[in-house]
This record gives sequence, C-alpha cells and structure tokens, in this order.
Amino acid sequence: MDRDEIIRVLRAFEEAGLEYVLIGATAMGFHGLVRATQDLDLFIRATPENIERLRVALRKTYDSDPHIDEISSADLLGDYPAVRYVPPTGDLYFDVLTRLGESASFETVESEIKEIQGTKVSVATPLALYRLKKNTVREQDHADAAALRKLFNF
Amino acid sequence: MPVQKFRSIEEMNNAQLPESRKPDFEAFLRHCARYWAIAPKKYPRGVFKFRNIEEAQKAREKYNKSRECDGGIKVLKNPIDGPYSQL
Repeated sequence: MDRDEIIRVLRAFEEAGLEYVLIGATAMGFHGLVRATQDLDLFIRATPENIERLRVALRKTYDSDPHIDEISSADLLGDYPAVRYVPPTGDLYFDVLTRLGESASFETVESEIKEIQGTKVSVATPLALYRLKKNTVREQDHADAAALRKLFNF
Repeated sequence: MPVQKFRSIEEMNNAQLPESRKPDFEAFLRHCARYWAIAPKKYPRGVFKFRNIEEAQKAREKYNKSRECDGGIKVLKNPIDGPYSQL
C-alpha cells in the first residue's frame, strides 16, 4: 500500500458513482487530525445498486481481485452489515458498513465534500465523527472524540 | 510538540498528531506512509463478514495481538524457506 493507492480507490469511488461517506481516521485526516491507520472505514448507502458500484470501484482498483465477488448485497443488507475487504496488497483494509447499531447509517451521518488531487471525497463532518466515536467502547475512539472535541470546540 | 516519544509502535500508532486546523489530507497520507514503512503489517487477504462493529473490532484485536508476539515483524522460523534459500 502506498499513498497513491488511497487516492486511486477514492477516485474509483467517484467514477463508479458510489454513495458513501468516509468515517474513522481517514475522515479525521481530511479535517486536519492526523494519526496513522490500517483501515479505511466507510458507510455506504444500503442498496443493491450501490453495493454493485462498490464492487465495480474495487475491481477497477485491485485488478479484478476475485475476492471482491464475495462482497454481497445479501450480507450487507442482511445479517452482516459490516464487511472487511483486505485487498491483495494486504497492508490496509476496508471496513464497509451499511449500518452501525440501530441508529447510524449512510443516511444519518452528516457529510461534506472534500477534494484531493481533483477527486471529490464524501467525508463525515467533524461533529458527525464526534457523535459516532464518543459513545463506543473502543479506547481509540475515546481518544479520537477527545481530539475532535478539543480541535472543534464541541 | 516537535518531538514525541513512544514506548512501543502501538503507542505511536495511537498517538494523536493534531497538526493544524487547515484540512491537510496530504499530511495524513505522509504520516500513514511513514507508519506503514516502520511497522509493516500483512493482513490475510479476502472478505470477512461481521454481524456488528464489535465483532469486527475483536477480529482486528485478535490479529494485532498475534502480531505483537513477534514484535510485528515476520520472523522466518526456518531461513531455508525464506527468500535467501536460492542464494
């Protein structure tokens, strides 16, 4: 994985018309809060058409990796709303979510459009990130929430 | 905050580096690139399904814990099987 791989996949998302919103450390990076990460977390709109757009974008980026076919609407719209895809490069992975608990989803997370090297990227707002992170049990999320609160005066 | 000190690579990974209010995704990419170079990880490729985010988190922690045993570095138990076996 290199920095260009992230740019390529974000560009592929845009070209495929994927409806998504970045959350997690990648989204925080867009807001000027920088920490390293091994994953790229995103909510996607939970429709079969959109899940196909996700597969299209990933196939384009990862040379039609056959594992991508295992990302299914039946899972993401059914009992498995969290799917992790580890591409052939293997050092960074994607956590794709259609919903988080009962309340959070693509529709409920406020987003804004950012741009990187001419590519438009849908990113959760700082406040949306703060709300997602402040009540989880994960230690890292508490640290992220504290940093967001401090930087943006929540 | 020009210098930060860490007792482990995990502590370094968890450190917050608020650099500026200015959105700077390039800084994020540079920071990740440095981290990946210092602490390379290889996850098993493929697609993994979880019923909730907690399950996903547990899977990640389990993997990271297994990597801590060897300091995050792939140790070749038998060098003859490694990349130098053809020398």
